[in-house]
Amino acid sequence: MRSLYFLLILFAGTTSCMGQNKQLLYNVNSLPQSLLNNPGSAVDFDGHIGIPLFSKFHISVGSSGLNLYDIFNDSNPDVNKKVSSAIRRLTRNDYFSLHQQLEILSAGWRLNNGQYLSAGVYQEMDMFAYFPKDPALLVNEGNNDYINVPFDFSDVSFTGEILTVYHLGINKKIDDKLTVGVRGKLYSGIFNVESTNNTGLFTTRDDPNTPNFYRHFAENINVRVNTSGYASLNNTGMTVQQSTADLLKRSFFGGNVGAGIDIGGTYSVRENFRITASVLDIGFVYQQHDVENYLYYGSYATDGIEPLFPDVDPNNNTIPYWDLFEDEVDRNLKDETLHENYTTWRPTKFNAALEFGFEEMYEVCNYRRTYTRRNFNLIGLHLFGVKRPRTMNFALTAYYDRKFSNNFRAKLAYTVDDFSFTNVGLLVSKKINKFNMFLAADNLLGYFNLAKSQNASLQFGLQFIFNKQ
Amino acid sequence: MCFFKLHKNPILLVLFSILMVSCVKGVDLDQTEEIALTPDLQVSLLIFDVSGEDFSNPNTGEFQAIISDTVRLEFLDDSYIQNDLSTVEFSFKYTNSFSQAFRNKISFLSEDNGLQHVVNFDILPGKKDNAVETNWIEFIDNDNIDAIKNSIKMVVEIQVLPSPDAFDGELKFESKGLFSFEF
Repeated sequence: MRSLYFLLILFAGTTSCMGQNKQLLYNVNSLPQSLLNNPGSAVDFDGHIGIPLFSKFHISVGSSGLNLYDIFNDSNPDVNKKVSSAIRRLTRNDYFSLHQQLEILSAGWRLNNGQYLSAGVYQEMDMFAYFPKDPALLVNEGNNDYINVPFDFSDVSFTGEILTVYHLGINKKIDDKLTVGVRGKLYSGIFNVESTNNTGLFTTRDDPNTPNFYRHFAENINVRVNTSGYASLNNTGMTVQQSTADLLKRSFFGGNVGAGIDIGGTYSVRENFRITASVLDIGFVYQQHDVENYLYYGSYATDGIEPLFPDVDPNNNTIPYWDLFEDEVDRNLKDETLHENYTTWRPTKFNAALEFGFEEMYEVCNYRRTYTRRNFNLIGLHLFGVKRPRTMNFALTAYYDRKFSNNFRAKLAYTVDDFSFTNVGLLVSKKINKFNMFLAADNLLGYFNLAKSQNASLQFGLQFIFNKQ
Repeated sequence: MCFFKLHKNPILLVLFSILMVSCVKGVDLDQTEEIALTPDLQVSLLIFDVSGEDFSNPNTGEFQAIISDTVRLEFLDDSYIQNDLSTVEFSFKYTNSFSQAFRNKISFLSEDNGLQHVVNFDILPGKKDNAVETNWIEFIDNDNIDAIKNSIKMVVEIQVLPSPDAFDGELKFESKGLFSFEF
């Protein structure tokens, strides 16, 4: 049997690699990090201390419609044709994302009343951009093949943030069936950029009722880019030491601050059937420090410049047609830089899962343990969603979680999301005395050729986990 | 690191397996150097609509056979034109309801009025109730594109060609440029 498990791990390890959300950590109650995915997770340990900076690192990169091979495959040398083809194929709802988390400090302990308190600090980066379809077409192909076809600037939509999160959570077992948890968070913003809810159409029309071949229309243009923590980066007078000190200050509430909450719970319908759910990062950051807003708005239409013949005005001065044209454009299409504070909402996440257990474990009864895993095998279905500017993005995962021994468990997951239909992920967690380490990677099949992968995700962590004897 | 030890530590085993199988193949990243954006932009340029009155000297009121006007096209000096413009195709259209023919001369001049490029063609005569179109396409290929890059002014000059008919009508002008770039 051990050989079979070994072969299973070897197969999974060698036939996979790529990842996205944190579905591999969700419902893994033996790991403290599961509390960050569900503060109401039915954790089965009594204390934990993360190795500073190494207790959890997560990075995931994804593109819903494009991979490296699409652009650079060596069987087709015409790279520009491939770029054009990709731009035409992608839609405005395709997106690119980059997410990273680094746990700086992490600790937790069970109180005498049985509740589990956990706290920590982590740094997070989240970048998300929809593919700006129409502006990309305009830049790549121009308007020549798109006469009478509007280019829509609402396609421009992106967000990005880097922040430090300070959190404190409490996990309480209400009764034998229900465990709930809540986590309060304070956000300290380091950098933010957002440009959403833009509007505007640019159209070149060949209306025969207009006086020139074409009339260009810029209609209801309203593009706004909010930034915080960006303007000072342009301050070339700062030394490296000053920049470092500035970034550290921002990490410790020296800049933009916000607050949020996670809630979650676990309900055991039967001993081997659980329902879990959580909502994470219901919160905001008030951007007030080092803020710059870039605005471009207005409407304008032009047929071109109209000389008047003769080329001098009544005072015999040359008529500055171009300057007059520019002034008219500037009056109608305004370009402004402001310093207005703004509020950003965190990308709220949602998890829900059903989990069944089988092959019952027989452990020595310990009345002090609030939760004990009762089955060697767990299978489950997990729905994940994250709020993005236009909609929620979802991922559905089916998983098999096996406890091989008291010191080793593994979780194999198959996920369907916007990136892939072949996302097989693996988590392995190994405990050596009180020291625990885990490694999780998604989309393992993609590792055979990363160029054809549209997403990749990796997580690992090292910590001490304690159980009362 | 022996295989036995890997077997003992599943995390190292998984890491080792990933490292062993992961690769990037079938791609040529040197192609990044060849990536270029090549938009073709249709841009309206000048329009005008002149009648017989426009051929009068504004000071004396006397008829003048040649009128002209100059428009600075400041965008020709912008960096995207100077660095990345590859070709231009100008399209000019006159719609003439004068019974006279005209001679058109469109000059592209540098800042110091040096002639960089000139477009000459005759405009067909029309009729008061039946205007006639004259179309002209001027293509500036990449070998000659510096003529446009060096220009900053566009001068339109119209000369009435002699005719015994009454000088009455309307002359409309339309123009556009198809600017092709390679960024």
